[in-house]
Amino acid sequence: MTFDVVYGLSPLLVVALGALLLMLAEAFGKPNPQGLAPTGEVSDAGAGRAGELGMGAAVVLFVGAALSLGVWLAGPDNLVGLELTRPYLIWDRFTVFVCFTLCLGGGLSCLLAGGYLTEHEIDRAEFFPLVLFSTVGAMALAAAGELLTLFVALETMSLGVYALVGLRRTPRSSEAALKYFLLGSFAAALMLFGAALLYGATGRTDLAGIGQAIAAIGQGEGPGAAQVLIALVLVVVGLAFKVSAVPFHMWTPDAYEGAPTPATSYMAVAVKTAAFAVMVRVLLIAFGDERLTSWASGWPPVLATLAVASMTVANLVAGRQSSVKRMLAYSSIAHAGYALVAVVATIRSPAAEGSILFYLLTYTVSTAGAFGALILCGSRGKEAVSYEDLAGIAKRHPAAAMAFSLFLLSLAGVPPTAGFFGKLYVFQAAIDAELYVLTVVGLLNSLVGAYYYLRVIVFMYMREPAPGATLAVPMRSGYVASALVIAAVLVIALGVLPNVTLEWAAIATVGRS
Amino acid sequence: MSPATKAVFELVPYLLAFGVGALIPRRQGTLERVAIGVVAALSLALVRGLWPAAADAATPAVAPPEEWPHLLNVIVFVPILGALFVLFLPRQTPALLRRVTMGVLGLDLLASLMLLRVPMSRGWHFQYVVDWLPSFGIRYHVAIDGVSLWMVLLSTVTTPIAAYVSFGSIKKRTKELCFSILLLHGAMLGAFVSLDLFLFYVFWELMLVPMIILIGVWGGVEKIKAAYKFFLYTMAGSVLMLAAILYLVWTHKSLAGYATFDYLALANVVLPRTAAWLCFGAFALAFVIKVPMFPLHTWLPDAHVQAPTGGSIILAAVLLKLGTYGYIRFCMGLFGGPAWSAAANLAGLAVGGGILYGALVAWRQDDIKRLVAYSSVAHMGFVMLGLFSGTRPGVEGAILQMVNHGISTGALFLLVGVIYDRRHTREVREFGGLAKVMPVYAAVFVLVTMSSIGVPGTNGFVGEFMIIMGTFVSLPLGSHGGLQAVLAAFGVILAAVYMLAVVQKMFFGPLTNPKNAQLSDLNVRETIALAPLVALIFIIGLFPSLFLERTRDSVQVVLERYTEGRKSFQEMDPSSTVARLLPRRGGALETGYPEPPGQVDAKPPDPSTPEAEAALDPQQGQP
Amino acid sequence: MLETYLPMLFIFVIALTIGAVMFFGGQLIGPKNPTPEKMMPFECGNDSQGTAGVRLNVKFYLTAILFVVFDIEVVFIYPWAALFKSLGWTGFATMLAFIAALLIALAYCWKKGALEWES
Repeated sequence: MTFDVVYGLSPLLVVALGALLLMLAEAFGKPNPQGLAPTGEVSDAGAGRAGELGMGAAVVLFVGAALSLGVWLAGPDNLVGLELTRPYLIWDRFTVFVCFTLCLGGGLSCLLAGGYLTEHEIDRAEFFPLVLFSTVGAMALAAAGELLTLFVALETMSLGVYALVGLRRTPRSSEAALKYFLLGSFAAALMLFGAALLYGATGRTDLAGIGQAIAAIGQGEGPGAAQVLIALVLVVVGLAFKVSAVPFHMWTPDAYEGAPTPATSYMAVAVKTAAFAVMVRVLLIAFGDERLTSWASGWPPVLATLAVASMTVANLVAGRQSSVKRMLAYSSIAHAGYALVAVVATIRSPAAEGSILFYLLTYTVSTAGAFGALILCGSRGKEAVSYEDLAGIAKRHPAAAMAFSLFLLSLAGVPPTAGFFGKLYVFQAAIDAELYVLTVVGLLNSLVGAYYYLRVIVFMYMREPAPGATLAVPMRSGYVASALVIAAVLVIALGVLPNVTLEWAAIATVGRS
Repeated sequence: MSPATKAVFELVPYLLAFGVGALIPRRQGTLERVAIGVVAALSLALVRGLWPAAADAATPAVAPPEEWPHLLNVIVFVPILGALFVLFLPRQTPALLRRVTMGVLGLDLLASLMLLRVPMSRGWHFQYVVDWLPSFGIRYHVAIDGVSLWMVLLSTVTTPIAAYVSFGSIKKRTKELCFSILLLHGAMLGAFVSLDLFLFYVFWELMLVPMIILIGVWGGVEKIKAAYKFFLYTMAGSVLMLAAILYLVWTHKSLAGYATFDYLALANVVLPRTAAWLCFGAFALAFVIKVPMFPLHTWLPDAHVQAPTGGSIILAAVLLKLGTYGYIRFCMGLFGGPAWSAAANLAGLAVGGGILYGALVAWRQDDIKRLVAYSSVAHMGFVMLGLFSGTRPGVEGAILQMVNHGISTGALFLLVGVIYDRRHTREVREFGGLAKVMPVYAAVFVLVTMSSIGVPGTNGFVGEFMIIMGTFVSLPLGSHGGLQAVLAAFGVILAAVYMLAVVQKMFFGPLTNPKNAQLSDLNVRETIALAPLVALIFIIGLFPSLFLERTRDSVQVVLERYTEGRKSFQEMDPSSTVARLLPRRGGALETGYPEPPGQVDAKPPDPSTPEAEAALDPQQGQP
Repeated sequence: MLETYLPMLFIFVIALTIGAVMFFGGQLIGPKNPTPEKMMPFECGNDSQGTAGVRLNVKFYLTAILFVVFDIEVVFIYPWAALFKSLGWTGFATMLAFIAALLIALAYCWKKGALEWES
């Protein structure tokens, strides 16, 4: 019994424990010479040790991923003891799949940070405990089956990320952090308000119970429909903030651009993945009533509008950016749009949940890889930011250019990369759900998207740097390189032989009634 | 005679050809001699493979030789693996990179010649099927028939030539060049042999990136614009095609109970009218952009003018063929009904917008390469016309014309590249009287021009003649057929006008421009590259039956499918919204048909039930 | 269901109205005769010095935050104490883990110098 719980929750527990230990290691470890102030005093014990701490954090997260895999193979349904944690944490295959993705994305980001923080001499080794704590929150969020757990997990995840954004302490970074914090808290408040209304209407806080109560509406003793609808809108808006869907995306470009790149990578992959996971669970379990999943009176048209707006606006705006990092930020909004198509498709297609999970996995490896390649293209004081910085980088650093191209092609959805299968699966689910218009809009959008991804490749391979321009000097870092190798292998593996993963994603459902 | 001695005897003619080829040119280095010898031996192999009598003599006529199932895998994956291998070679050794690339391409050519050993009877040959993604119903399914056979051979013959030419003129970033050419080659071959729509789409998209690199890295002044244009046009077509593929697969799944992307299975799906038209439109758009047909041709002149010579050759010779090949295989095979109904209008477009408009625009060009590019639009108009005619001579002629166009336009681009390398300009008025300083060049140019405008005795004549003949008697074109044939014939005359005009201006008359006085004639590399193309011009021109015999049965099959598709489409009640599944044909045409996984849920649903009707109504469920 | 809250809404509206009337009413209808002395901020009869916004030392905030962080734990420990018997050893172990995590946090703060006033 206890063993089941401990084994089942082991990814969560290991990461939490790792975070605590890493915190101690950061505070009490032997400081590097670089971390010493000129007088010889210890100015910051964690300074100059970003590399090794990053390695530690990455190892913890990869162990978390491996344990998720172990739990998956053992089958969460076979671990009877996990019933104990219900309804607070619902530890099903859906959760475990998401946990794997989260740990993977977090681990890659930590590896990137190991190289990035050292290179840019950002003496903030708190980065790693923060990422780990945030990942714990994200995993709990993906598992949350109850409104209070959901809120606590959401805040655990978000608080860490707010700090990560402001880590660099430049005005830009601080502004981004403040913006993100304010809007994020606002979104959380909306969610909380929605949750309160739901509790008021149904008297339940567990999602399944809420779902049952809603099903009873109109059959005598049910709660007021108006209240439920208002709650639904508030919850959807709160979650839309977290996945940064248009028109709740205003914070995204600034926060993504201002944050140190590994933190951006973490935000783009882990926060979004967890938010999508909880969105699927809330919508399907709490608001899964057939009246709420119909086009006439429920959330599908709202989410479809969000999806179309996210894809279209983000893709059009992304093409006009001059900063690659900002372009990637908009691209992540567009990808949220594609994933939202799959969320809408859940109403009629049983394959849609799997498609979201698989999409998030492919998105995680491609995006983390793309940010990593961007990191690799720059070095201290000569960071690669704009397209011009990347001009001709294919000659100066062929490997970085090639890796960057691979990840961009995957984001654009060109076969045989992971991104292609992700998109294919999503659109297949959409066609399965007879969402033809959404599918065509999505496909046309991926065409627009391909344009600006291609633009980066064009700059890297086909443009010469302007004479006299300050060139971005590629950095050398084993951490970043190893993260890129892992991501590249996964992008290709998921692109050529995705079969097992696809089958696994297909059976990872939230178990709606 | 023991097998060993027999093998030695079989090798003798090749050795002879090698020896003759190597001995003829005097005052050349050993390497060039060897190269010429190898080309001679390969040409002999090609000819011997083509000749049915030679093939019969080599193998007893009792049974067709065993088909080695992995042959297509070898042909497709040797270049792709070669591309990956090139990635790991040091970039400081361009010579090694070039040699490896040529070696891989040569190996591929040899392997593809093996395809000729088997007579192309009805059905699929060299079929190889293996599950790839069973949960999606995606299989790795490759096979060839008489149509794709020539496309494969065309690629394996022209790509080495393009690569060889590129190596002569491009000296920078050899590694990327080798990688792109090999990957492009593999992807094109893969697209020609795939019988799984998903696999086809993967290869189709895979071609995009290397081609963009070819245009964008080694192209002319406006290379980046041209690369974007190429990319966006192609991508725009293919995303809609993907939507149509997914819709088709989903319909098949709801009818037959299991998902499959297989061509053989999807060909049995009869979609309701609206859906069929939309899906046909999506497929046709993708292919028509690639062909390209007026008014979607505008990317082609830019791409051609900006691309380096090698890129232009591959683009003209093979890449455009994917459009026409896709139209035969998928538009006519999967959506016979809409294709048949649209044929008359599209044929009008092919004649007016392709043949005549392309010819007239070509006439007005000052840039030779642009002229050849527009002539390519006109030639592809012929091919499309042949396909739209839907008659046996028309389609056979179209397939032959695809090969012809690859050979003659490829050769023309090569020749334009030759003069461009020497003078760095392609303006017609810069030249004049070149025949005096470059006699061999002029002779070859005139010869290729003859082939391009279809003078009897060259390959172009046979193809164009058959297409016009087929258009006259065409059923789908109805009463327009005659008029269109006449206009197409007029297009041939126009082609003669603009091509001969440019030949006259460039090669004859007085040598006006002093810059041209010192030009050197064709060098060894260029001669080696041109020789096989010139040889093929005559082989096809004089012995077209070598080619037509191998396509005959497959064209028959294509037309059967086409007619059948049209029949089932027209039988359908126009207001019906229910898709149907045709019964299995069985026989050689459906070897490798995807069987349902387990027999549990394989029962066909009753189309009369309201659920099935609701499920297939494309009007429902739209936001 | 929402109708039950209607009186609440009325109370809010009435309260707001009364407050607004009192706040702005005086300004609107009262006589005004400003002199420089009247316009000065009142500070115990002295002339006021400096600006209105006073900067507090950031250390106060840190201390306040630490107080909140470690004080809130009591909220978790009280219910455990109340149900100590029924929760048994499982509850004890859980609470131990919780306190251990707190201790780690405390050690971290200590080491990082958050508890030092002078630095």
